[in-house]
Amino acid sequence: MSQDENALQVEELVKVYPAKAGRGAPVRAVDGMSFAVRRGEIFGLLGPNGAGKTTLLKILTTLLRPTSGRARVLGCDVVAQPLEVRRRISMVIQESAAEMFLTARDNLLTYARFHYLAAAEARRRAAVVMEKFHLTPEADRKVQDLSGGFRRRVQVAKVFMVDTPVVFLDEFSTGMDPILKRAVMGYLREEAASGRTIVLTTQVLSEAEELCDDILIMNQGKEVARGDLYALKLLSRGLYEITMTFDQLPARIEAELARLQPVRVHIEDNTVELALKAEEAEVLERVSALARLGHVLKVEVSGASLEDIFIELLRGPEAKS
Amino acid sequence: MAALLAVLYREGKIRFTNLVWMFFDLFYPLLYFLLFGVMMDYTFGSPLAALGVDYTAFFLAGVLGMAGFGIATNTAWGFFFDRDNGIFYEMLTYPMSRAQFLLGKVVFNLLLAVAQAALTVGLGVLLLHVPVKLERLPLLLAAVVGGAAGWFFFFAIFALKIRRNDLFNTVVNVFYFVFLFASSMFYPLEPLPGWFRAAAQLNPLTWHVDVLRFATIGVGDPWRILLEAAAFVVFSLAAFAYAVRTLQRQE
Repeated sequence: MSQDENALQVEELVKVYPAKAGRGAPVRAVDGMSFAVRRGEIFGLLGPNGAGKTTLLKILTTLLRPTSGRARVLGCDVVAQPLEVRRRISMVIQESAAEMFLTARDNLLTYARFHYLAAAEARRRAAVVMEKFHLTPEADRKVQDLSGGFRRRVQVAKVFMVDTPVVFLDEFSTGMDPILKRAVMGYLREEAASGRTIVLTTQVLSEAEELCDDILIMNQGKEVARGDLYALKLLSRGLYEITMTFDQLPARIEAELARLQPVRVHIEDNTVELALKAEEAEVLERVSALARLGHVLKVEVSGASLEDIFIELLRGPEAKS
Repeated sequence: MAALLAVLYREGKIRFTNLVWMFFDLFYPLLYFLLFGVMMDYTFGSPLAALGVDYTAFFLAGVLGMAGFGIATNTAWGFFFDRDNGIFYEMLTYPMSRAQFLLGKVVFNLLLAVAQAALTVGLGVLLLHVPVKLERLPLLLAAVVGGAAGWFFFFAIFALKIRRNDLFNTVVNVFYFVFLFASSMFYPLEPLPGWFRAAAQLNPLTWHVDVLRFATIGVGDPWRILLEAAAFVVFSLAAFAYAVRTLQRQE
């Protein structure tokens, strides 16, 4: 793939936070990451808390300088050409960042102004974006008077005001209701289809599963796995997700589940969800054993979800050590 | 230029759509002048009566100094608040350099300071007949602009460095108390005890107010005023350099 086709090009990127005076050791938040992201892709950065996702995003958006290595956004170096990078990006940061003293409408107009949009065009777009995000009734209320969910809407809505070719979203759906979240995911797909590159981090793995063309899983500043959903599922061959609903939860279920050593288990009401890593025949045997514990109303056995793969991949190094 | 205008637009929108903030920026010092200045003059007379200067005329420079100081603390508080709620970091990803961001903030601060000074001096002349020396208006303009810039850079350092809201508020309140009262803002320094006078003469607000007083009513030794003006310029440049460095290190 030529570099011209890439929206992002990251090479041997390292970020070390120095130790605080007299306390602790330096932290290698990003530890030699290299990857490229194609234009028009929805790229997901996944990892547990403290994996280095936000630090990586901050470097790519010129908020942080890397300790070493290179990162380019549409060919512009984040250290040598920060202003050129900023002209090509828009960013939703993790914190709920909005202009508290301005109205929802003025938030959008001010953002547009910073991105050199003409006033008339900004007003036109603001009306469309507010409609999309169900903000029209709140348009003239100051953001400080809005709820946390609405503040987040205003913040995310801003990136739809402009046409920057690359959009960074750091956990964009935090605080959004499921209906709006689904709608925003649709808008993001439309933006990607029109050629914008979307780079997002999320803790909601189903969101990444549904949205991302390409996923990079990182932990402790390093790449753990990379690929589309199909490729990641191949990495976790032999991992199965089982859902069983009983008419009444059997008394011995927890002891039996512990014996099976599942990758993940979740019990809610009469339903047990678990992920097992085993050969297909063995999985079916174990399902039968569980089924004998009580009266089963429903059983589902399927390939692993992204959440299972994520847990399996991140558990790997710990298990080995 | 477009980035600078965008920062001015943003600052203007925030200030002009918040009447309480506007009141504090534009009218609070003026009311202080009209109430405190007139009452002090009525009650105690003027410390410079021998020179034919009443207290309101003496206090005009103090009010202008207080206004520049106050606008700078309000802007710095805005800076702190922006960082606290995250918008500051989002703004650092906008298509502008950090120098343009800081410059936009300070230019807005200066426009506000000039508007406030024009209002205060104008009403001082019209209502209280303060004998303002019109030929020194260019010097007054320079003193207002230089003072507001210097104080803005000074407070921006603390707004950028301090992470805790309670600590920032405490620092600003202590500065208010120390800088305002250990200065020539409310009273002339000459009759005061030597140790206090020495402390006040090291205070940049004294330098600023003395220049403003020379520029408004002509009181002060020109050579001493020149020295104080030079000292304030050095203070402002040092604060500017440190503020830019602090902003560039924001991560």
